[in-house]
Amino acid sequence: MSIIIISSDSYEKGEEIAHNAARALDYACLDRELLAVVAARYGIPQDRLEWALESSPSSWGRSARLQDRCLAYMQSTTLGELLKDNTVCHGLAAHLYVVGISHALRVRILAEPVELAREISGEGEVPPERAPRFIDRQRKLRQHWSLTHYQLDETDPSQYDLVISLSQIHTDEAIKIIAQTAGYRRFAPMTYSLRCIKDAELASRVRAGLLEAYPKVKVRAEGGTVIVETQGSRRNKLKKAAAIKEEVQAMEGVDYVEVHIKNGLFKRAP
Amino acid sequence: MSERLSVLLLDDEPIVGRRLGPALAKIGCNVEAFEDPKKALKRIDQKTFDVVVTDIRMGEIDGMQVLDRVRSKSPRTKVILITGYAMMELAREAMEKGAFDFISKPFKANDLRQVVAKAARALGASVDLEKAANFSQ
Repeated sequence: MSIIIISSDSYEKGEEIAHNAARALDYACLDRELLAVVAARYGIPQDRLEWALESSPSSWGRSARLQDRCLAYMQSTTLGELLKDNTVCHGLAAHLYVVGISHALRVRILAEPVELAREISGEGEVPPERAPRFIDRQRKLRQHWSLTHYQLDETDPSQYDLVISLSQIHTDEAIKIIAQTAGYRRFAPMTYSLRCIKDAELASRVRAGLLEAYPKVKVRAEGGTVIVETQGSRRNKLKKAAAIKEEVQAMEGVDYVEVHIKNGLFKRAP
Repeated sequence: MSERLSVLLLDDEPIVGRRLGPALAKIGCNVEAFEDPKKALKRIDQKTFDVVVTDIRMGEIDGMQVLDRVRSKSPRTKVILITGYAMMELAREAMEKGAFDFISKPFKANDLRQVVAKAARALGASVDLEKAANFSQ
């Protein structure tokens, strides 16, 4: 009946819980296997998509733009899949863009610290006294990554409906808690929440389609109305707006397009 | 349940009742429209409706209170909440309290007809959406 988004400081634990929760609820499980679909759809190598999900935000122009595009392509494809209900999603950063959707249960799994340090270090066993250093470094990296790309701190527990610490709760208990919580009526899909996710999908699909030509583009959607905002010089403003309008108007699900070009020669669009 | 689906429509903006009332009547619903929540609650106490469609923000009495009253009187009645101030928290609260559906304004008359048709199906009844096919929105 709903969508469950699993985010975790441990990729391994998040994946294990997502798959088992999907099995327990008879839901589909959406994970990084979707990257192959994204790669094929947008002609981007799959390892580039993984790099965009894992690496520190790049401050170099071309590299930063590529990272933005990779994440936008992934977001658009993931949201397209999430239009179907009864899905558990993990490993695609959906907790950072499936926001304000009432039928999406957002779960954060906190791994047991020593196990997490082993996973992060890639060195096998890590002495317990060294674990906090590894974890803190990783936490700061993810915080920086999520704030840069989505203006949200993924390490902040208030971003989630449910936070489970595996130091205190066993994995099988966590799965039961998630399954039970997803059954609460407040997470049931309704006309409003389905419209919200449809709007989010349309906006992200339009943005993904425009991003290569217009790297600063921002898109909102309400019903079939799409509002596009980007930068341009005064001289080519009309031409650029007409080109964007024509391109977006041809996209599926778009009824009406509004384009706003802001003077971007010396100032970033807000 | 009578042959025709009985619907109580409550919104303090008169235009909403004037517009949505006929739209629901077109699919065979028996609609009673109210602008005053007090009068609507009085009517709810007198009669058990199949479906109640209510706005949330209405001043003295809000749609959540209407939902509570309907649910305590007739759990089988399907309550559909409509609002121009939709937010995730409010939507979740409404569903937890037993709302059948939650719709954000603006919406098309046909969107509401679809939801009412879904409510009718949940009650084991049906409405004829085909009748409204030529209805001008």
